[in-house]
Amino acid sequence: MSCLDILRWPDPRLTEVCAPVTDVESVAALVGDMFETMYAAPGRGLAAPQVGQMLRLFVMDAGWKAGEMTPLVCVNPTVSAVGAGVAAGAEGCLSMPGVEAQVSRPEVVDLTYTDLTGTRITQRLEGAAARIAQHEADHLDGVMHFDRVAEADRAALLDRYGARGGAAHGGA
Amino acid sequence: MVHGGARRMAVRDYVPWPDKRLKTAAEPVEKITEEILGIWQDMIDTMEAMPGVGLAAPQIGVMLRLAVVDASDARGQALRMANPEVLEASAETNAHEEASPNLPGVYGKVIRPKSVTVVYTDHLGMRVRKDLTGLWATSVQHQIDHLNGKMYFDRLSKVKREMLLKKAAKKRGASGPF
Repeated sequence: MSCLDILRWPDPRLTEVCAPVTDVESVAALVGDMFETMYAAPGRGLAAPQVGQMLRLFVMDAGWKAGEMTPLVCVNPTVSAVGAGVAAGAEGCLSMPGVEAQVSRPEVVDLTYTDLTGTRITQRLEGAAARIAQHEADHLDGVMHFDRVAEADRAALLDRYGARGGAAHGGA
Repeated sequence: MVHGGARRMAVRDYVPWPDKRLKTAAEPVEKITEEILGIWQDMIDTMEAMPGVGLAAPQIGVMLRLAVVDASDARGQALRMANPEVLEASAETNAHEEASPNLPGVYGKVIRPKSVTVVYTDHLGMRVRKDLTGLWATSVQHQIDHLNGKMYFDRLSKVKREMLLKKAAKKRGASGPF
């Protein structure tokens, strides 16, 4: 296992739509490295394109910072909204350290994914887990958290990021 | 999706040009419902069967502002859009040979902005912004044209458009019963 470099905005790979994983076994080593990278960052979610792998795959652990390890590997995930509830919340991103975006998202979602054994699973998520899963799934479509905020807020966020040195001095 | 379960495949028929639905602006989508999600899936299936890099709902006779775009080689990564709009377009342009399953057998070179920023309502019912470039950008602009009742050849010069339509009529004549 090894820690991988995390791409920083505005790396263009963060805006690309990623390709489905066709062979789950082929990503097992990458998944191990992604968990190591995520925990070291430290973060609660990491998508493959954030480490330069343009594949529909992310790892997350919504509970570990609160002392409960809940690692989740999601290959070829899809997210669907459950009910009409939408909540706003602050989100950081390992590819954009030092700034947060206030993002509105569905509160409850069904996350469907293939696990490392090749099994297709659907899991209902809410709270932080729902938010993290949606944030990571967005990366697979080349969408950043600031693509979901009003234009003025987006511009202000990019200014703040630029002012702190942007990609050059992002040390999280 | 690639690893989906036993979902039915639904490839829909194309409306043949000059059906008036291809010349009519589609209606905005109010809410992302199960029905809308189903139409999107049929659109993806229909696009893959073509095969193509995008599809707009009016092409299959559904008069709603829905589009799917997948300009990838790998496939299986379609963006699903409701009420898409171009927010910004690059000054730099790109010329691409465009065609349509609604008028098969012909194609025309259309010049469009090389990169665009679009905003659309996604499958979760949320507004999202997306930068697209190259074939992705060409396709999304082509789809938005359909939602506004416009075909790619409506962007050609009058002469080129007439030539294209004549050629299409000839091809249709040759393959038809008479």
